[in-house]
Amino acid sequence: MFSSEEIQVFLDELEEKIEILNDGFLTLERDGDNPETVQEIFRAAHTVKGSSGILGYNHMSSLTHEMENLFSLLRDGRVHSTPHMVDVLLESLDTLKMLRDEVTGETGRTVDIGPVVERLRGFRQQAGTGDDGGGMVGNGPAAGPEETAKTAFSDAVLDVIREAVDQGYGAYRVQVDIDPGCRMKSVRAFLVFQALEKAGVQVIWSEPPVDELEQGGFGAGFELLAVSEEDADRLRGILSLIAEVNAVTVVPVTALDEVGAGPVKAASAPGATPAPAGSVLDFPVKQADLLNDHKKAVRTVRIDVRKLDSLMNLVGELVIERTRLERFADLMELKYRSEEMIDTLNEISNHLGQITSDLQEEIMKARMLPIAQVFNRFPRMIRDLAHKLGKEVDLVIEGRDTELDRNVIEIVSDPLLHLIRNAVDHGLEMPEERLAAGKPRTGTLTLRAFHQESHIVIIVEDDGRGVDPDQLRAKARQMQLFDDRTLGRLSDQEAMNLIFYAGFSTAANVTDISGRGVGMDVVKNQIEQISGVVEMRSTPGQGTAISIKLPLTLAIIRALMVGLGSHVYAFPLSNVVETIHLDPAAIRMIRDSEVVVVRGEVLSLVRLGRLFRQRETGTAEKLYMVVIGTGPDRVGVVVDRLVGEQEIVIKSLGDFLGRISGISGATILGDGKVALIVDVRALLAEISGLQAHQGRVYAAG
Amino acid sequence: MIDTRSARKGEEQLVVFQLAGQTYGVDIAQVFEIIRMEVITRVPKAPSFVEGVIKLRGSIIPVIDLRKRFGMPPAESTANSRIVIVEMGGMTIGMVVDAVSEVLRISRADIEPPPPMVAAVDAAYLRGIALWRERLIILLDLEKILAEKDQARLRQSKMELAEKSA
Repeated sequence: MFSSEEIQVFLDELEEKIEILNDGFLTLERDGDNPETVQEIFRAAHTVKGSSGILGYNHMSSLTHEMENLFSLLRDGRVHSTPHMVDVLLESLDTLKMLRDEVTGETGRTVDIGPVVERLRGFRQQAGTGDDGGGMVGNGPAAGPEETAKTAFSDAVLDVIREAVDQGYGAYRVQVDIDPGCRMKSVRAFLVFQALEKAGVQVIWSEPPVDELEQGGFGAGFELLAVSEEDADRLRGILSLIAEVNAVTVVPVTALDEVGAGPVKAASAPGATPAPAGSVLDFPVKQADLLNDHKKAVRTVRIDVRKLDSLMNLVGELVIERTRLERFADLMELKYRSEEMIDTLNEISNHLGQITSDLQEEIMKARMLPIAQVFNRFPRMIRDLAHKLGKEVDLVIEGRDTELDRNVIEIVSDPLLHLIRNAVDHGLEMPEERLAAGKPRTGTLTLRAFHQESHIVIIVEDDGRGVDPDQLRAKARQMQLFDDRTLGRLSDQEAMNLIFYAGFSTAANVTDISGRGVGMDVVKNQIEQISGVVEMRSTPGQGTAISIKLPLTLAIIRALMVGLGSHVYAFPLSNVVETIHLDPAAIRMIRDSEVVVVRGEVLSLVRLGRLFRQRETGTAEKLYMVVIGTGPDRVGVVVDRLVGEQEIVIKSLGDFLGRISGISGATILGDGKVALIVDVRALLAEISGLQAHQGRVYAAG
Repeated sequence: MIDTRSARKGEEQLVVFQLAGQTYGVDIAQVFEIIRMEVITRVPKAPSFVEGVIKLRGSIIPVIDLRKRFGMPPAESTANSRIVIVEMGGMTIGMVVDAVSEVLRISRADIEPPPPMVAAVDAAYLRGIALWRERLIILLDLEKILAEKDQARLRQSKMELAEKSA
């Protein structure tokens, strides 16, 4: 049996290949049969076929075999892709995904691959090919009859041999006999290939071809044509070490016309092989692919995210100790002045600092993935959605190589999906409507990602009907979210942001009035949970752009450190709008609440000391406020002093304390002290709760 | 004196500390380390017996005040004050005590079930009492003390409610 790790590796690989196929199919539809794309999807299908066959997922193996056959025809130009073919291919991809779910146990029902296989075969019949993969379709590995007959070398293979010999390499015909009782022939064959590859041997041809070998579809043995620097004895030595390999025959191939078909006899002297007959063009290509895949696999390592997380934690600690060392070195210098040993200490401290920050950066990078991981899921979805709605959409993707932390990627995928669906569904108009408005029939949806300081900005932009702030105001009035006066004071931009209010845009009470649909509050919540900011800009009739600004990582954030009495608190900088020096004399009272007027606007004040039940410090001469929140929710948090901005490593408060309202975690400062991180979202919620309460009390009184 | 060679059967090693004039003990296996008093960062809105958090080897750990936990009168920390770091059910927690006196080895036979009223601590939090050289050592049941934080929180909020309505 195969271990769960092996199956996991297979599933990861499958996921990759599914994406490649998905992209490839859409490219086919857009650009026609370009050879690179066809080659890419061919390889992907081929790999899945091989590995699923080894693991015994026969349906998957049969399906991908069928796909591969079609791609092979595409590659040879014997069929050409059509929109209908892409539909069928996408359907086969969906079937493949269902088969995957079968493996992961996500679906209980058995997937029937019959219909889609039939449809795939239909295209091959159009190409007039009689051979249909022989025993491969249906179940289980078996040698295709059309392939067994081809035993001689093509011109391509001969070319490779000629070139190799010219460069001083030896070409060898290798006959490997596997123990007839061997239960996992495919594994043995794989080991043979691997051993050869390790020894720097290139296999340029095999009989049966590699894909059949991978499935164990051979009798007692197989034959290879290898190009190597090693001599025949050495090759024989390498291969005879492999278990269940009974006999190995290695015969040098010296002259081209001596390369031929037929079994190699152990006794045959160099150059005694029969002449070529027939053609076997496909297989050397596959062979090279297999080798390339193996080479790639060696250079990368899959690693558990948790390991990276714990590495990150350790580096965080290192940063803290480094800072301590630096301070200690400074103290020593103050005390003993410059001395040789102090200089050395400083030097060590500096060097350590350099290494630590490099290390931190490297680990951060290791956690990074390109946003393409998310973006790649969308073209298919947009295509399907547009088809369904009868809309025409051009998708433009920019900055797909922009990298960000993998856990941010995981979280951002959902809200993005939502935004895109909204844009296609509600933002973009029907083709006729667009023409009537003097726009091109086809709408454009742009996905753009780029870095901005330590953040990544993702913009979802459409050139659809846009959002009308007045409609949003009217809606807010109808829902009694705010009184008329507040609404009247809102700028257009602030009115736009009303759409993010809870319940404002849920399906139940909005039908397209806004040109933007449902669940924007959910999107906002998801984004804010990872300290992101989401904003909408729109021009009625011209389009809408929603930008999401996210931290590159969740482990380290930039924070504004503030002082309250002897304590230091950290405000995530992404939540801070601005900081303002506050003259206590400027504080006014409205009802029972303190407010201050900033640039002509009234801003409610909240004293952090009171919220956190910490005694006031009494130095009322000089105060500062940190402005947090957006739009009408903007609040000034009063603190004693501003300490400054710095990067902090986020730590949990642990299970014992659990969730403490208003605090999202803690961080260790350079001097070893602990500073708590303010949970701005919870704080805002609490403040608005308090004010509502006060309001009610006031109304009741 | 104390046998340091190996843990003999039927014996228990205790970390013994002082709290409001009484001697208490916890199983040494549960004690991770003992550190000097340091600046504790108060955590707003945490249960009142939680003093706050400190940093220990790069991690943040909560510190509870055993005096407050047991409803004893509060006291200023002194040069003798210590934080006993214990590990319980995967959690690491610090406990502020008046002083740590020693590590003792006592015979299990000397441990008796706790009488309903001993010292200031509710018998539910006790594992037993031991008499060692005419000194009474109260053995704490850490699991109960730490696990019952929810009830403690409940009690606390009830008290706060009572205060407000008063």
